[in-house]
Amino acid sequence: MNDLKGKQFFITGATGGIGMVVVEECLKRGAVVFATGRNESVLDAQILAHPEFTFIPADLTNPDDLSSLIKLLPPLDGVLFGAGIIDPCPIKFIQQKHIDAIFSINFDSICLLTSLLAQKKLLKDKSSLVFLSSVSSEFPYKGGALYAASKAALEAYAKGIALEFSPKGIRANSIRAALVETAMFEKTKNALTTEEIAEVVSAYPLGIGAPLDIANAVLFLWSDLSSWMTGSVLNLDGGLLLNSKK
Amino acid sequence: MEIIDFIKVIEDEFEDLTPGTLSPYSVFRDMDGWSSMHALIFVALIDTTYDVLLTGEELKSCITIKDLFDITVLKINGGGINA
Repeated sequence: MNDLKGKQFFITGATGGIGMVVVEECLKRGAVVFATGRNESVLDAQILAHPEFTFIPADLTNPDDLSSLIKLLPPLDGVLFGAGIIDPCPIKFIQQKHIDAIFSINFDSICLLTSLLAQKKLLKDKSSLVFLSSVSSEFPYKGGALYAASKAALEAYAKGIALEFSPKGIRANSIRAALVETAMFEKTKNALTTEEIAEVVSAYPLGIGAPLDIANAVLFLWSDLSSWMTGSVLNLDGGLLLNSKK
Repeated sequence: MEIIDFIKVIEDEFEDLTPGTLSPYSVFRDMDGWSSMHALIFVALIDTTYDVLLTGEELKSCITIKDLFDITVLKINGGGINA
Protein backbone atom coordinates (compact mmCIF):
# COMPACT_ATOMS: atom_id res chain seq x y z
CA MET A 1 0.00 0.00 0.00
CA ASN A 2 2.85 2.35 -0.85
CA ASP A 3 0.77 4.03 -3.52
CA LEU A 4 -0.58 6.50 -0.95
CA LYS A 5 2.54 8.68 -1.24
CA GLY A 6 1.67 12.26 -2.19
CA LYS A 7 -2.06 11.55 -2.20
CA GLN A 8 -4.41 13.77 -0.25
CA PHE A 9 -6.75 12.40 2.39
CA PHE A 10 -9.31 13.85 4.75
CA ILE A 11 -10.15 12.16 8.06
CA THR A 12 -13.04 12.99 10.36
CA GLY A 13 -12.94 11.70 13.90
CA ALA A 14 -9.17 12.09 13.74
CA THR A 15 -8.82 12.60 17.47
CA GLY A 16 -10.54 9.31 18.28
CA GLY A 17 -8.63 6.08 18.87
CA ILE A 18 -9.05 4.77 15.31
CA GLY A 19 -8.76 8.11 13.51
CA MET A 20 -5.46 8.94 15.18
CA VAL A 21 -3.87 5.69 14.03
CA VAL A 22 -5.15 6.22 10.48
CA VAL A 23 -3.48 9.66 10.54
CA GLU A 24 -0.19 8.15 11.73
CA GLU A 25 -0.22 5.36 9.15
CA CYS A 26 -0.99 7.80 6.32
CA LEU A 27 1.84 10.11 7.29
CA LYS A 28 4.24 7.15 7.52
CA ARG A 29 3.40 6.36 3.90
CA GLY A 30 4.02 9.89 2.67
CA ALA A 31 0.39 10.93 2.27
CA VAL A 32 -0.88 14.46 2.79
CA VAL A 33 -3.45 14.48 5.59
CA PHE A 34 -6.21 16.91 6.44
CA ALA A 35 -8.10 16.05 9.61
CA THR A 36 -10.79 17.21 11.94
CA GLY A 37 -11.93 16.06 15.35
CA ARG A 38 -13.31 17.13 18.69
CA ASN A 39 -10.16 17.26 20.78
CA GLU A 40 -7.00 18.47 19.07
CA SER A 41 -5.11 18.31 22.38
CA VAL A 42 -4.97 14.49 22.31
CA LEU A 43 -2.92 14.50 19.11
CA ASP A 44 0.78 13.82 19.38
CA ALA A 45 2.95 16.96 19.09
CA GLN A 46 5.01 15.32 16.33
CA ILE A 47 1.88 14.78 14.26
CA LEU A 48 0.66 18.32 14.81
CA ALA A 49 4.04 19.61 13.66
CA HIS A 50 4.26 17.28 10.64
CA PRO A 51 4.55 19.33 7.43
CA GLU A 52 2.05 17.12 5.62
CA PHE A 53 -0.57 17.32 8.38
CA THR A 54 -3.27 19.98 8.71
CA PHE A 55 -5.78 19.95 11.54
CA ILE A 56 -9.01 21.88 10.99
CA PRO A 57 -11.11 22.29 14.15
CA ALA A 58 -14.80 21.90 13.35
CA ASP A 59 -18.08 20.79 14.85
CA LEU A 60 -19.46 18.68 12.03
CA THR A 61 -23.01 19.16 13.29
CA ASN A 62 -22.68 22.93 12.79
CA PRO A 63 -23.50 24.00 9.19
CA ASP A 64 -21.28 27.09 9.47
CA ASP A 65 -18.32 24.96 10.57
CA LEU A 66 -18.96 22.60 7.66
CA SER A 67 -18.95 25.48 5.19
CA SER A 68 -15.70 26.85 6.64
CA LEU A 69 -14.09 23.42 6.67
CA ILE A 70 -14.86 22.78 3.03
CA LYS A 71 -13.09 25.98 2.00
CA LEU A 72 -9.84 24.69 3.53
CA LEU A 73 -9.78 21.31 1.81
CA PRO A 74 -7.91 20.50 -1.41
CA PRO A 75 -9.15 17.99 -4.02
CA LEU A 76 -9.07 14.64 -2.25
CA ASP A 77 -8.00 11.11 -3.13
CA GLY A 78 -9.81 9.64 -0.15
CA VAL A 79 -11.95 10.40 2.88
CA LEU A 80 -12.51 8.50 6.11
CA PHE A 81 -15.81 9.33 7.76
CA GLY A 82 -14.77 8.25 11.23
CA ALA A 83 -16.59 10.66 13.52
CA GLY A 84 -19.33 9.20 15.66
CA ILE A 85 -20.76 8.73 19.12
CA ILE A 86 -22.32 5.73 20.89
CA ASP A 87 -24.46 7.11 23.77
CA PRO A 88 -26.51 3.98 24.68
CA CYS A 89 -30.13 4.38 25.78
CA PRO A 90 -32.83 1.76 26.46
CA ILE A 91 -35.70 2.08 23.96
CA LYS A 92 -38.41 3.07 26.43
CA PHE A 93 -36.34 6.09 27.51
CA ILE A 94 -35.57 7.40 24.01
CA GLN A 95 -36.51 11.05 23.47
CA GLN A 96 -36.06 13.31 20.47
CA LYS A 97 -32.87 14.70 22.03
CA HIS A 98 -31.29 11.22 22.00
CA ILE A 99 -32.23 10.67 18.34
CA ASP A 100 -30.88 14.09 17.39
CA ALA A 101 -27.65 13.60 19.33
CA ILE A 102 -26.80 10.28 17.66
CA PHE A 103 -28.06 10.93 14.14
CA SER A 104 -26.75 14.49 13.84
CA ILE A 105 -23.15 13.30 14.05
CA ASN A 106 -23.34 9.64 12.96
CA PHE A 107 -25.50 10.23 9.90
CA ASP A 108 -26.73 13.77 9.12
CA SER A 109 -23.29 15.41 9.24
CA ILE A 110 -21.89 12.77 6.87
CA CYS A 111 -24.70 13.29 4.36
CA LEU A 112 -24.14 17.04 4.40
CA LEU A 113 -20.36 16.73 4.23
CA THR A 114 -20.38 14.35 1.26
CA SER A 115 -22.84 16.61 -0.50
CA LEU A 116 -20.59 19.62 0.00
CA LEU A 117 -17.51 17.68 -1.10
CA ALA A 118 -19.31 16.77 -4.31
CA GLN A 119 -20.72 20.28 -4.89
CA LYS A 120 -17.28 21.83 -4.51
CA LYS A 121 -15.72 19.18 -6.77
CA LEU A 122 -13.33 18.12 -4.01
CA LEU A 123 -13.60 14.40 -4.75
CA LYS A 124 -11.10 13.48 -7.45
CA ASP A 125 -12.05 10.94 -10.08
CA LYS A 126 -11.29 7.44 -8.71
CA SER A 127 -11.16 8.73 -5.15
CA SER A 128 -12.24 6.38 -2.36
CA LEU A 129 -14.65 7.11 0.48
CA VAL A 130 -14.60 4.95 3.59
CA PHE A 131 -17.41 4.99 6.13
CA LEU A 132 -16.79 3.68 9.64
CA SER A 133 -19.78 1.55 10.58
CA SER A 134 -20.31 -1.08 13.23
CA VAL A 135 -21.26 -4.76 13.44
CA SER A 136 -24.22 -3.54 15.48
CA SER A 137 -25.85 -2.33 12.25
CA GLU A 138 -26.80 -5.96 11.63
CA PHE A 139 -26.26 -7.47 15.08
CA PRO A 140 -27.55 -4.86 17.56
CA TYR A 141 -27.01 -4.98 21.29
CA LYS A 142 -29.36 -4.04 24.10
CA GLY A 143 -29.39 -0.29 24.68
CA GLY A 144 -27.76 0.38 21.32
CA ALA A 145 -30.80 0.53 19.03
CA LEU A 146 -30.27 4.16 18.04
CA TYR A 147 -26.56 3.72 17.43
CA ALA A 148 -27.18 0.55 15.39
CA ALA A 149 -29.88 2.32 13.37
CA SER A 150 -27.57 5.26 12.64
CA LYS A 151 -24.87 2.90 11.37
CA ALA A 152 -27.35 0.89 9.27
CA ALA A 153 -28.50 4.17 7.72
CA LEU A 154 -24.88 5.10 7.06
CA GLU A 155 -24.18 1.82 5.27
CA ALA A 156 -27.23 2.30 3.06
CA TYR A 157 -26.15 5.86 2.31
CA ALA A 158 -22.65 4.69 1.39
CA LYS A 159 -24.18 2.26 -1.12
CA GLY A 160 -26.17 5.12 -2.61
CA ILE A 161 -22.98 7.11 -3.04
CA ALA A 162 -21.24 4.13 -4.60
CA LEU A 163 -23.94 3.96 -7.23
CA GLU A 164 -24.35 7.67 -7.86
CA PHE A 165 -20.62 8.48 -8.03
CA SER A 166 -19.58 5.39 -10.00
CA PRO A 167 -19.46 7.24 -13.37
CA LYS A 168 -16.43 9.12 -12.04
CA GLY A 169 -14.88 5.95 -10.67
CA ILE A 170 -15.39 7.24 -7.12
CA ARG A 171 -15.73 4.31 -4.73
CA ALA A 172 -17.60 4.12 -1.41
CA ASN A 173 -17.25 1.29 1.09
CA SER A 174 -18.12 0.74 4.74
CA ILE A 175 -16.11 -0.95 7.44
CA ARG A 176 -18.26 -2.74 9.95
CA ALA A 177 -16.01 -2.76 13.01
CA ALA A 178 -16.58 -4.68 16.21
CA LEU A 179 -15.03 -3.85 19.56
CA VAL A 180 -11.69 -2.07 19.34
CA GLU A 181 -9.42 -1.13 22.22
CA THR A 182 -9.84 2.64 22.28
CA ALA A 183 -10.49 5.33 24.87
CA MET A 184 -14.19 4.91 24.08
CA PHE A 185 -13.95 1.24 25.07
CA GLU A 186 -12.12 2.18 28.26
CA LYS A 187 -14.99 4.52 29.09
CA THR A 188 -17.55 1.80 28.38
CA LYS A 189 -15.70 -0.57 30.68
CA ASN A 190 -16.36 1.79 33.59
CA ALA A 191 -20.03 0.89 33.48
CA LEU A 192 -19.40 -2.87 33.39
CA THR A 193 -18.42 -5.36 36.04
CA THR A 194 -15.19 -7.35 35.68
CA GLU A 195 -17.27 -10.43 34.85
CA GLU A 196 -19.21 -8.57 32.14
CA ILE A 197 -15.99 -7.29 30.57
CA ALA A 198 -14.55 -10.83 30.56
CA GLU A 199 -17.73 -12.15 28.95
CA VAL A 200 -17.60 -9.51 26.20
CA VAL A 201 -13.95 -10.17 25.45
CA SER A 202 -14.40 -13.96 25.44
CA ALA A 203 -16.91 -13.66 22.56
CA TYR A 204 -14.05 -12.70 20.21
CA PRO A 205 -12.17 -15.76 18.88
CA LEU A 206 -9.25 -13.53 17.88
CA GLY A 207 -9.62 -11.18 20.84
CA ILE A 208 -10.89 -7.62 20.56
CA GLY A 209 -9.36 -5.42 17.90
CA ALA A 210 -6.66 -2.78 17.91
CA PRO A 211 -7.07 0.56 16.13
CA LEU A 212 -4.37 -0.53 13.68
CA ASP A 213 -6.58 -3.44 12.56
CA ILE A 214 -9.14 -0.90 11.35
CA ALA A 215 -6.53 1.53 10.01
CA ASN A 216 -5.04 -1.21 7.82
CA ALA A 217 -8.45 -1.82 6.26
CA VAL A 218 -8.94 1.90 5.64
CA LEU A 219 -5.58 2.11 3.86
CA PHE A 220 -6.50 -0.95 1.80
CA LEU A 221 -9.81 0.63 0.76
CA TRP A 222 -8.01 3.85 -0.17
CA SER A 223 -5.38 2.02 -2.18
CA ASP A 224 -5.53 0.68 -5.73
CA LEU A 225 -5.49 -2.84 -4.24
CA SER A 226 -9.23 -2.45 -3.71
CA SER A 227 -9.93 -0.74 -7.05
CA TRP A 228 -12.82 -3.09 -7.91
CA MET A 229 -14.54 -2.74 -4.51
CA THR A 230 -17.44 -0.35 -4.16
CA GLY A 231 -20.69 -0.49 -2.23
CA SER A 232 -19.17 -3.19 -0.05
CA VAL A 233 -19.44 -3.69 3.67
CA LEU A 234 -16.32 -5.17 5.20
CA ASN A 235 -16.78 -7.03 8.50
CA LEU A 236 -13.83 -6.56 10.86
CA ASP A 237 -14.78 -8.42 13.99
CA GLY A 238 -12.07 -10.83 15.13
CA GLY A 239 -14.51 -13.67 14.46
CA LEU A 240 -17.23 -12.27 16.75
CA LEU A 241 -20.02 -13.06 14.32
CA LEU A 242 -18.95 -16.72 14.16
CA ASN A 243 -20.48 -16.94 17.61
CA SER A 244 -23.65 -15.12 16.62
CA LYS A 245 -26.87 -17.00 17.28
CA LYS A 246 -28.28 -15.68 14.01
CA MET B 1 -36.26 14.87 47.33
CA GLU B 2 -36.60 12.01 49.81
CA ILE B 3 -34.92 8.65 49.37
CA ILE B 4 -38.27 6.89 49.83
CA ASP B 5 -39.51 8.59 46.64
CA PHE B 6 -36.29 7.67 44.84
CA ILE B 7 -36.78 4.01 45.80
CA LYS B 8 -40.39 4.14 44.62
CA VAL B 9 -39.28 5.42 41.21
CA ILE B 10 -36.88 2.47 40.92
CA GLU B 11 -39.41 -0.09 42.11
CA ASP B 12 -41.98 1.26 39.65
CA GLU B 13 -39.49 0.88 36.83
CA PHE B 14 -38.43 -2.68 37.53
CA GLU B 15 -41.71 -4.56 37.32
CA ASP B 16 -40.20 -7.75 38.70
CA LEU B 17 -39.43 -6.01 41.97
CA THR B 18 -42.04 -6.39 44.66
CA PRO B 19 -42.74 -2.95 46.17
CA GLY B 20 -40.97 -2.66 49.52
CA THR B 21 -38.13 -4.97 48.45
CA LEU B 22 -35.51 -2.24 48.24
CA SER B 23 -34.06 -0.35 51.15
CA PRO B 24 -31.50 2.48 51.10
CA TYR B 25 -28.81 -0.10 51.84
CA SER B 26 -29.80 -2.64 49.16
CA VAL B 27 -26.91 -3.45 46.84
CA PHE B 28 -28.47 -2.73 43.49
CA ARG B 29 -26.16 -5.07 41.55
CA ASP B 30 -27.55 -7.93 43.67
CA MET B 31 -30.95 -7.51 41.99
CA ASP B 32 -32.14 -10.71 40.28
CA GLY B 33 -30.75 -11.01 36.76
CA TRP B 34 -28.55 -7.89 37.05
CA SER B 35 -26.81 -7.05 33.78
CA SER B 36 -25.29 -4.09 32.00
CA MET B 37 -28.79 -3.40 30.62
CA HIS B 38 -29.95 -2.71 34.18
CA ALA B 39 -27.10 -0.25 34.52
CA LEU B 40 -28.28 1.55 31.37
CA ILE B 41 -31.83 1.63 32.72
CA PHE B 42 -30.66 3.18 35.99
CA VAL B 43 -28.76 5.87 34.09
CA ALA B 44 -31.68 6.57 31.75
CA LEU B 45 -34.24 6.52 34.58
CA ILE B 46 -32.29 9.03 36.64
CA ASP B 47 -31.73 11.16 33.53
CA THR B 48 -35.40 11.30 32.55
CA THR B 49 -36.79 11.59 36.09
CA TYR B 50 -34.29 13.99 37.65
CA ASP B 51 -32.51 15.45 34.61
CA VAL B 52 -29.23 14.13 36.01
CA LEU B 53 -26.79 12.29 33.75
CA LEU B 54 -24.58 9.84 35.64
CA THR B 55 -21.30 8.84 34.03
CA GLY B 56 -20.19 5.21 33.90
CA GLU B 57 -17.51 6.06 36.43
CA GLU B 58 -20.05 7.54 38.83
CA LEU B 59 -22.32 4.53 38.49
CA LYS B 60 -19.40 2.19 39.09
CA SER B 61 -18.56 4.04 42.31
CA CYS B 62 -22.05 3.36 43.71
CA ILE B 63 -22.78 0.20 45.66
CA THR B 64 -26.13 0.79 47.38
CA ILE B 65 -29.35 2.55 46.46
CA LYS B 66 -28.34 5.26 48.93
CA ASP B 67 -25.09 5.81 47.04
CA LEU B 68 -27.11 6.33 43.86
CA PHE B 69 -29.48 8.66 45.66
CA ASP B 70 -26.63 10.66 47.16
CA ILE B 71 -24.81 11.17 43.86
CA THR B 72 -28.09 12.13 42.18
CA VAL B 73 -28.86 14.73 44.85
CA LEU B 74 -25.27 15.99 44.67
CA LYS B 75 -25.55 16.48 40.92
CA ILE B 76 -28.97 18.12 41.18
CA ASN B 77 -27.26 20.61 43.48
CA GLY B 78 -24.49 21.18 40.95
CA GLY B 79 -21.85 18.76 42.25
CA GLY B 80 -20.41 15.46 41.06
CA ILE B 81 -17.49 13.10 41.54
CA ASN B 82 -15.31 15.13 39.24
CA ALA B 83 -16.73 18.50 40.20
